[in-house]
Amino acid sequence: MSTETHHKTAVHALDDLPLLGRDLSFHEVTELVAHHTEKKTPTAWFGAFALANAGLLLLVAMIAYLFWNGTGVWGLNNPVGWGYAIVNFVFWVGIGHAGTLISAILFLFRQQWRTAINRSAEAMTIFAVMCALIFPGIHVGRVWAAYWMLPIPNQMEMWPQFKSPLLWDVFAVSTYFTVSAVFWYVGMIPDLATMRDRATTTLRRKVLGFLSMGWTGANRHWRNYEKAYLLLAALATPLVLSVHSVVSFDFAVSIIPGWHTTIFPPYFVAGAIFSGFAMVVTLLVIARKIYKLEDIITIGHLEKMNIIILLTGTMVGFAYITEFFIAWYSGVKYEQYAFLNRAFGPYAWAYWTMMFCNLVFPQFFWFKKLRRSIPFMFAVSITTNIGMWFERFVITVTSLHRDYLPSSWDYYTPTWVDVLTFVGSFGLFFTLFLLFLRFAPMVAIAEVKYVMPQADPHYYDDHGDGHAGDQAAKLARSSHHAS
Amino acid sequence: MIELPVLNSTASADASPRKRFWRSVQHLEADPGYSAFTESELMTGAQGSPGDSSRRQFLQLMGASMALAGLTACRKPVEHIMPFVRKPEDMVPGVPLQYATGMEFRGALRPLVVESTDGRPTKVEGNPEHPESNGSSGIFEQASLLALYDPDRSQQVLRNGDGSTWADFVRFVAERDPGRTAVVLHPTASPTVERLAAALAARNAGSRVVVYDESLAAADASRVRYHFDRARVILSLGRDFLGSTDVDHLHNTATFARSRAADDGSTMSRLYVIEAGYSITGGAADHRLALKPSQIAAFGAAVARKLGADAPASTFDDHPWAAAIAEDLRGAGSAAVVVADPTHAAAPVAAAINAALGSWGTTAERFVSGPLTATSGLEGLAALASDCAAGRFDTLLLVGVNPVYDLPASVDFAGAMGKVAETVHVGLHVDETAVKASWHVPMAHYLESWGDGRSFGGTLSVTQPLIAPLYDAAHSAIEVLSLFATGTDRSGYDLVRESWSGVLTGDFEKAWRRVIHDGFLPGTAYASSAPPAVAVPAVTSGPDGIEVLVQPDPTVFDGSFANLSWLQELPDPVTKVVWDNVAAVSPATAARLGLSVELDAGQHFVDRIAVTLGSSTVDLPVWPVPGMADDVVQVNLGYGRSIVSRRPERTSPFWDTDSVTDVYGTGAVAAGVGVSVSDLRGAAGAASITRSGSGYLVATTQDHGALPDEGAEAMDRGLVRMATLDVYRQNPEFVRAGDPRPIREEWTDYPALWQSRHPADEPAIKDSPYFRNQWGMVIDLNACTGCNACTIACQAENNIQVVGKDQVSRGREMHWIRLDRYFVGDGADAPVQMVVQPLPCQHCENAPCESVCPVAATVHSPDGTNQMVYNRCIGTRYCANNCPYKVRRFNFYNWTKTLPASLNLAHNPNVTVRSLGVMEKCSFCIQRVREVNKRVNVENRSIRDGEVKTACQQACPASAITFGDLNDTESAVSKAKRNPRRYEILAELSVKPRTSYLGRIRNPNPQLEAGV
Repeated sequence: MSTETHHKTAVHALDDLPLLGRDLSFHEVTELVAHHTEKKTPTAWFGAFALANAGLLLLVAMIAYLFWNGTGVWGLNNPVGWGYAIVNFVFWVGIGHAGTLISAILFLFRQQWRTAINRSAEAMTIFAVMCALIFPGIHVGRVWAAYWMLPIPNQMEMWPQFKSPLLWDVFAVSTYFTVSAVFWYVGMIPDLATMRDRATTTLRRKVLGFLSMGWTGANRHWRNYEKAYLLLAALATPLVLSVHSVVSFDFAVSIIPGWHTTIFPPYFVAGAIFSGFAMVVTLLVIARKIYKLEDIITIGHLEKMNIIILLTGTMVGFAYITEFFIAWYSGVKYEQYAFLNRAFGPYAWAYWTMMFCNLVFPQFFWFKKLRRSIPFMFAVSITTNIGMWFERFVITVTSLHRDYLPSSWDYYTPTWVDVLTFVGSFGLFFTLFLLFLRFAPMVAIAEVKYVMPQADPHYYDDHGDGHAGDQAAKLARSSHHAS
Repeated sequence: MIELPVLNSTASADASPRKRFWRSVQHLEADPGYSAFTESELMTGAQGSPGDSSRRQFLQLMGASMALAGLTACRKPVEHIMPFVRKPEDMVPGVPLQYATGMEFRGALRPLVVESTDGRPTKVEGNPEHPESNGSSGIFEQASLLALYDPDRSQQVLRNGDGSTWADFVRFVAERDPGRTAVVLHPTASPTVERLAAALAARNAGSRVVVYDESLAAADASRVRYHFDRARVILSLGRDFLGSTDVDHLHNTATFARSRAADDGSTMSRLYVIEAGYSITGGAADHRLALKPSQIAAFGAAVARKLGADAPASTFDDHPWAAAIAEDLRGAGSAAVVVADPTHAAAPVAAAINAALGSWGTTAERFVSGPLTATSGLEGLAALASDCAAGRFDTLLLVGVNPVYDLPASVDFAGAMGKVAETVHVGLHVDETAVKASWHVPMAHYLESWGDGRSFGGTLSVTQPLIAPLYDAAHSAIEVLSLFATGTDRSGYDLVRESWSGVLTGDFEKAWRRVIHDGFLPGTAYASSAPPAVAVPAVTSGPDGIEVLVQPDPTVFDGSFANLSWLQELPDPVTKVVWDNVAAVSPATAARLGLSVELDAGQHFVDRIAVTLGSSTVDLPVWPVPGMADDVVQVNLGYGRSIVSRRPERTSPFWDTDSVTDVYGTGAVAAGVGVSVSDLRGAAGAASITRSGSGYLVATTQDHGALPDEGAEAMDRGLVRMATLDVYRQNPEFVRAGDPRPIREEWTDYPALWQSRHPADEPAIKDSPYFRNQWGMVIDLNACTGCNACTIACQAENNIQVVGKDQVSRGREMHWIRLDRYFVGDGADAPVQMVVQPLPCQHCENAPCESVCPVAATVHSPDGTNQMVYNRCIGTRYCANNCPYKVRRFNFYNWTKTLPASLNLAHNPNVTVRSLGVMEKCSFCIQRVREVNKRVNVENRSIRDGEVKTACQQACPASAITFGDLNDTESAVSKAKRNPRRYEILAELSVKPRTSYLGRIRNPNPQLEAGV
């Protein structure tokens, strides 16, 4: 640590913002992240895991109850054919946006700060998409025939109906899930190898050895790895935009006023990024505190995410207002009624919840002090998630409950099964996320190291003469992470 | 061991002493040992069993014991089933047969043709051959099919509540002289019942026949038939003559609809309705005045006086409407008609006006019906009860009636029954009266028994059974009457033939066959009688306070149809309430009494009120109906039944919702539904109303949104388009004004990108033989009255399931054709009009449901209809979301899983019974189309116009629905599509609906229009 003061200015990334909270060595970074998977399981983790598992069990019980009795156990009715299930589906898919955006798009844009958060954000993405994928499967009336939505060759020569947006959904979300999972796993290989090398038990060594695919850190490995990572990032980037655009087609392609809107694809993508970042903030604010990662996931990183929340929140709010304008401007009375009904009809409470949570609250992030305040950003991340859930509720339910023929108008009230299924989906999410925190490197160790000052080839050139300075001390430091 | 002598092989040797030749001394002396030795072929022990029995004996015994062992399993005589090696003539398995029969309703026979599939009745239709029918049918005839298979039907003869048999009952009647007998019947014009009732009454002095109907009013046997098709001005004084409960509903609706024809310069009639509640007749009116029930006769008297009839002075003499209506009636002369309920105080007024106008003989026709159509009314029943209590009768015979339920508590009929030595109840159910009777005999359904009757106009019919009684004990009314009249058990067939032996002339067998084939005997209509000599009694004004109007329910009538789940779930045509009876009041009265209806989350939670009239109080949920007269409470009969069901109550474990979703799960269907209002009958005076509770859930199929919004939005959106006759004459295409203003894109405006690949051009579609016919429908809103017949006909035809009150309140009713009802008015105080719009699937050519289904479960047929492939449907509900008409219905639960077995017999075998999780909707009765396709294919011809009728079209008494081939430019539907009043709802969405509507025309009186 002798050089700490001396090299203070060097601990800065390209954009002049500190990427790490303090000057850490490579070894310290490895240690900070990896030891959480190696230490004895904390009692608190078991407590949290038990709670999450109870939620998962609840989800399983609710699905069993649904399968046994039929869709009638939900609150759906005649005009409102889609309720919580579809709302939850879009909600979870939306949350599943942040991870791949952070890892792929920000990677392509060389946003170095992403390295601290991308691993956990991607994990969140995959788990959120898993939660999302449950709902289209269980919401159909005849679950035992749900596989007919897949293009499986069969003796009837019956293909799915390719004009249906629901089918596009099946393709978009499953592709997104596959690519995200592969991207996540490939990114983890060097870190898994690091953990393998640190393993103290045979079983751990074997499992990690299998998962790290024989990684040795050889130059050739790094070259292939980085090329693959770049390609996957390029592949994932359009998917980030496409998946929620396609999800929005479920609504936009229909003819129901309030659904039939060309603004939906960009508006849904913005909303998805909005909610995804909010969820990342929610999770990381807690995780960095508990796992003492404040020096890796710094307040600066959180602030950057809050800026994206502010940006996308404003975009979403702009879309809300645009929809109103277009409804008036189009002169279509159904459209006008649908939007007035949203704001002032029986579901006005849901609409204004959405408006306040999504449009108003993030605006406080214009204040630097507030966007660097942990309690405040935590509160806003929660309200954003509430608001985005309500956005999907408002779109799905308020458009359906009063459409063209007034005689069919009705109201949708969720049943306890609806609510508990949603609660249970959080159980699944947290079960998976807790397993991730316990067993996987929650920060991309290798990637953080790339962007550390030590990774700079000129780091050791103290005197600016092309020669290393105090060799002994530098080597002593670097030998820590050579292993 | 058993010795079987026939087969005993040890026959005795010849013991003849005279032997001339012998082989040995043993032979000569006939030694038994020797003879045994010589008889056996083999040495001793080499044959036969060591025991006594022989091999053959052994086999015989084994065979016999096996046969006996087998017989122990048989408790019934052996029955043989035989294949149709020589099949009965005309019977092809799976091909339905049709039989003419009839159903008696309120003393008049409704002629019917009933479809029988492989021996079980599956669908009821009107008899189009009958001179008084256009082949239409009402809700009660349609639903009577369900009554046949009602799982709660009485199945056993009961003696003081314990199981007995028909044979015991016959023995009981034969051995005991019934003595002085009182017979209670509902009105009937059946010659056989008339004959047997007369014989029964004549058997013992002191016997009496009492006839009563749901009105509990005394009336003579005269009847009035109205010919609305000849009328130009019609005034109804409180009579809901278009309603399903009207005795002549089908004829009234058909002739009224014809009188409303406004196209091609035809003279359209004008209808004035003066009524207290809101009925569909009021909804069809050009001018409707809401008055309290007691004021209606007074208003009629004012009109009568202005027309010069001898009528007393009334408070309405200065009413502007009375003058205007009188003038209009006078102008129409004999082409005007005034209608009133025959038992209502306005009836003599109406008769007097008709006489003054000269309408008798043109628009109104009177005839005298059979003696048993005269009713005794409440006074007669009270007298009967007191005579019973006084011991003036030895036997009380109640045939198909339920007086314990029908009568108010002021007549203690149950107590009176206890004073009669033997009370015999014959009925379809073990109902309120059956449990008080000493004998109960299950009544055979009309589809199970022989009978006869006369239609409203008098045409004689024989009603033939289509099936043997489902329950052995069930017997028809005439069989029981005959048993009491003669003491002998005779079959209904013999009884009816006996009655008809005097009716038919010529070769009896030939004529008889003709009658049962046709369903009627031509030329037997009643002769017109002279109009009644009318003396209008002084008009009494009613009480000042709140009046109670008791009416038969438009869906379950007086309760005799209450156990039919189809009718319980059929929305009231005005309130749209299901599975309940409500106390309807005007919104102003509700506000004055501080009564409220909370619309919470799409469900209505209403206050309950205690309606006290005299000494009786009935507690009902309140329901505001716009346009009702103030200070009137309208209550409906037929609810609060207690029918004994033998089915066990359904219980299911906590994870299973069957016990919640099964409407048949807890006792009889009608039990526990609504409240009986019988106690309010017969009491006069003002009622007092107190709020007795709140938060009661009322299930409706409409109005889940706010009421004022719905009507205004429906008009604004051009869903219902209407104009006055004058506007229509000036601008025949007035419906175009309802077309959406901003954009109306033609399909051809779209780029040709997809046109070359349009599905209709695909070879698979074009090469199909079905492609030749393109089906379409037109619904004339000017003819539709909203009687609900189409909804029930569709339910019967298409196996539509019933979901119960709880599920309807959650918006999950399954009707494929619904009647959207909108109130139109400028405010709470202004007159309120009601418009009705039947809404089946519109069969869009560019169907939004089809493109969104991920599995192609809803597709277009080559003949242009939009069809559901139930097998393929996975239930994403996306199609229902994307349907702008919201006509798709989802199976949220497995409704058929809990269906009682007998109800499966009512299903149409040509329509799939849908399972859990699939979508369903109107198919334009594709099964009927395919049936005709098959026929014409065999006969190698094309389909004739009108050969395919949808179930709704066939039932519709107003002929408001036209269905047919759009490719045939001369078909009725093509002609209807060329009507200037034709429009499509939501056409601007470019969905190209195949169903069109014809705009509604009102014909208001210009003098009154200012006030409307």
